[in-house]
Amino acid sequence: MKDSDLNGTLQTPPTQEMIYELRVQQAMTRHVITVAPEETMEDVSRVLEENRHTGMPVIKWQKMVGIVSVRDLMRCFREGRSLQPVSQWMSKDVATLYADEPLIHAVQKFERRGFGRFPVIDRKTKALVGILTKVDIIRCLLRNLEIDYHDLESRQYIPTKWFSELDCDRTTLSFRYHIDGANFEKAGEVSSKLKHNLQALGLPPDAIRRIAIASFEAEVNLVIYTKGGELAARVEPGKVTVSVVDDGPGIPDVERAMQPGYSTAPDWVRELGFGAGMGLPNIKNCTNEMKLESKVGEGTNLQFTVFT
Amino acid sequence: MKLREIIETLQATVVVNDHDQEMVVERACGSDLMSDVLSKLKPKALLLTGLTTPQSVYTAEMADLSVVCYVRGKKPDAETVRLADERGLVLLCTSLPMYESCGRLYRRGLKGDSEA
Amino acid sequence: MTRTLKEIMDALKLAVSTSGNLLSSRTVAGGYVGDLLSDVLAHAQKGQVWVTLQTHTNIVAVASSKELCGIIVVNGRTPERATLQKAEEEHIPILVSPLSSYDVVARLCELGVTNREGV
Repeated sequence: MKDSDLNGTLQTPPTQEMIYELRVQQAMTRHVITVAPEETMEDVSRVLEENRHTGMPVIKWQKMVGIVSVRDLMRCFREGRSLQPVSQWMSKDVATLYADEPLIHAVQKFERRGFGRFPVIDRKTKALVGILTKVDIIRCLLRNLEIDYHDLESRQYIPTKWFSELDCDRTTLSFRYHIDGANFEKAGEVSSKLKHNLQALGLPPDAIRRIAIASFEAEVNLVIYTKGGELAARVEPGKVTVSVVDDGPGIPDVERAMQPGYSTAPDWVRELGFGAGMGLPNIKNCTNEMKLESKVGEGTNLQFTVFT
Repeated sequence: MKLREIIETLQATVVVNDHDQEMVVERACGSDLMSDVLSKLKPKALLLTGLTTPQSVYTAEMADLSVVCYVRGKKPDAETVRLADERGLVLLCTSLPMYESCGRLYRRGLKGDSEA
Repeated sequence: MTRTLKEIMDALKLAVSTSGNLLSSRTVAGGYVGDLLSDVLAHAQKGQVWVTLQTHTNIVAVASSKELCGIIVVNGRTPERATLQKAEEEHIPILVSPLSSYDVVARLCELGVTNREGV
């Protein structure tokens, strides 16, 4: 199969973006073997040989004072000075990388400095946390590419095949969540979880956005006005139906509540950023079907559907 | 407009997730009330807001926004930062008021969401 | 450059909700955008025009106490009847725009409405 065929059918994931997204800490080797400046180059050669490394950081009093590589070793041995201390042969000009830097910085540094490896340090503590070589970068990219491929495959697979492959008259998948009333810190958490689940199922992003927004509005309403309730999402081929139920206090005038800008929210709620009166109208605007039933003293039952 | 141009224009400090400075933001909206943001379904936008609670992050997540910038020198609390970090959402802070922030960005060419 | 509310109304094609007679006399010292009342109370300055999407009666009290020159309500929202009544009583002009606050501010800046620090 030619490269071009592969690109055409599988939509190669953007590796360039990956280099910006992946961090040094995801590619580096954490287990770093180090050596003290007083040790001999003979010791170093043994350690390097045993571990098949090509270089290692030189640490004195927990600080990195230099780096010694196979090249340094070769020069030393050529001159017959293998018993000399590391401090005389190490390179003091150490370029390092931060653990949280994007891999692209590492690639650029490799090109610019021509070194074979970079010690990785923690940005805050400046402690040595790992070591990065070019091979590490390649390995990390390949690892992530594989994951990406699987991601792509599963996304393409599930909505089209999953439901039809199960032998059933009708297949649905349902998620249930409890929403805590008056818990303003967490308002939005349930919708966030639902959104992630829908993304894992590979539903179209636009439908997910609309479901998430409608759920978020409903969730916030429950947090502001009720003691809590249940959100249940039912996923079936072609649509997602969400029902949000609470048992009080109920909406006295549903028609008025549906008007954009109308709000019964108390002032302190507005100071928290809610209560603009857009909740129910927003739900209506972004869903395909919406049904709202409410009785004062009994509770509210909201149901909406988004076609996928 | 690119993320680094936005940071420069607003003299903003980055709170979290600024690794992709070349990220393109297509539109901006400014609001302290989150429902208003959700009534427009245009993703990849920048949200300017004075609301520093977790809801600003949840709203950005639901609406698929790329960047949230807190104005008036406000700083998000630890929980908000954690949520944003988890979601890869870029959080910025500027000491400029909302009025100046909108004005400067508009002059550099960043459109609002009322236009097509 | 100081503009009057009337010039702003004409340029932005705003609809007048109350106190239309005051527009020509009110000069605009700058602009403030925000929907959290506590923020407006803390930072807005006298003579500024307040751009907000809030429509409840408290916006009149805030505008009055901070001596703002007027309020522009955005997103095509309609101020509540009680709000309009109070605004007439307190002589606070309320104008309405179909645009978002970002776009209203953009146009105000184009007209030269800036705050003392400069935009």
